[in-house]
Amino acid sequence: MAKCQRCQDNASVHLTEMVDGRRRELHLCLPCARQAGVALPESAPSLALDAVVQDLIVSHVGELVGELARLTCPDCGLKFMEFRSNGRLGCPNDYRVFARGLLPLVQRAHGATRHVGKVARRRPDATDRLRLRTHLREAIAREDYELAARLRDQLRLKDADA
Amino acid sequence: MNLDDLTRTSGEWLRGSGPESDIVMCSRIRLARNLADFPFSNRASRGEKAEIENHFKNAVDHADLELNYIELNGMSVLDRQFLRERQLISNELANGEGPRGVAIGPQEHISIMVNEEDHLRIQVMLSGLSLGDVWDQINRLDDKLEEHLAYAYSPQLGYLTACPTNVGTGIRVGVMLHLPALVQTKQIDKVFRALQKINLAVRGLYGEGTQAFGDFYQISNQQTLGKSEPELIRILTDVVPQVIQYERTARTALMNERRQHLHDQVSRAYGVLKTAHTISSEETMHLLSSVRMGINLGLIDDLEIATVNELFIQTQPAYLQKLQGSELGVEERNVARASYLRSRLSNGRHVEPE
Repeated sequence: MAKCQRCQDNASVHLTEMVDGRRRELHLCLPCARQAGVALPESAPSLALDAVVQDLIVSHVGELVGELARLTCPDCGLKFMEFRSNGRLGCPNDYRVFARGLLPLVQRAHGATRHVGKVARRRPDATDRLRLRTHLREAIAREDYELAARLRDQLRLKDADA
Repeated sequence: MNLDDLTRTSGEWLRGSGPESDIVMCSRIRLARNLADFPFSNRASRGEKAEIENHFKNAVDHADLELNYIELNGMSVLDRQFLRERQLISNELANGEGPRGVAIGPQEHISIMVNEEDHLRIQVMLSGLSLGDVWDQINRLDDKLEEHLAYAYSPQLGYLTACPTNVGTGIRVGVMLHLPALVQTKQIDKVFRALQKINLAVRGLYGEGTQAFGDFYQISNQQTLGKSEPELIRILTDVVPQVIQYERTARTALMNERRQHLHDQVSRAYGVLKTAHTISSEETMHLLSSVRMGINLGLIDDLEIATVNELFIQTQPAYLQKLQGSELGVEERNVARASYLRSRLSNGRHVEPE
């Protein structure tokens, strides 16, 4: 039986990989394998699959992704990881909230990160209305109909101004 | 607007006129736009989608645009498919859910989808190679709508879209080409590879993920950020004439080297379409493609190109069923298709719809 290459215990994790065309074999016992990050931790942090996936990404892809993975847009509630799995953003504000994760993708897709071309009119209060709509959705979800009614009135006023 | 009215007319883009229209079926541009104060369609509630729809309808009224709004929510599958076949809506909108719809302009030049992947997908389509005119029209239309709508826009990233692949100009510039000779001489893949190398996408008649049928291919830009709209259009107007030239060269070669074979193929195709009593959609597309090339090469002289162009759309399943006024199974459709083809081709001259 192969011995763990780190502690000489009985090895139970056997890894073969090709590095520069050469075969490399790795034999480790379970604790050493966990330490090396080639085996799953003793108990998964949560049974929820997306949490497991996120955890794997955090531990394997590094800090920035980990931070990004936890980012949630305050306006539409989208998580960066959700975007990564279905490719659709949730609201215009996501471009600001997820800028660090999005810009590299944008650069890869377009070879640029700066818009050239038609310029839209400035509508400074549109973002306020996006925020109000978020509060309205949350109020309805909480069944706080009094607040919902007030928010609706505010939105109606702003819509009339716009 | 009654959808049945549409069965009696056809889109301007099928007219077969405009520059290079023997090979270029049509030019189209679409702009992706979103309202700044709503979540994107995929995260909007039904109520919010209804509000987006209302904002859009108000903008159309205030801008005095001559557009008919058709609601898709609650529409039958057949009617949605019918709009899809006419290139007025996408699969995504047809199969979507909740408040959504399409605004259609006279002669079907303009279609604006509401609550597709983006809140608005504005499309202008003209026959022939006429991207300059298409851009002028769509740019003006976009300006008029913007007077009454707050678009999601950032100075750095431009128009903000649900998918980052459309961000920036939000523009897709497309030209639909009929390339039967390149297909027949097996040079088409070479052309595609060259186009893909310069970041242009090639798709079939019905867009993303659809197989090219009737030898129609749509070439369009993929990059939307970092170049202005006129620059992106120029990429297409530079490249498309080269593809047209390849197709012409291939046609000339077929005419010179295999004239009898080609003439035979075209005449047989025409003969089958004029006389068949049951015919599948696939075979129809294939034969219409031969006939279309035959007309352009002077091998058929009693049929107009507009008729053939229309038949590509009017032999599709939903159109035939709308015409019959009832749902038909595959076999029944094949019989109805053959009967319709016989009636349209018995007197080859193009008949203007009343």
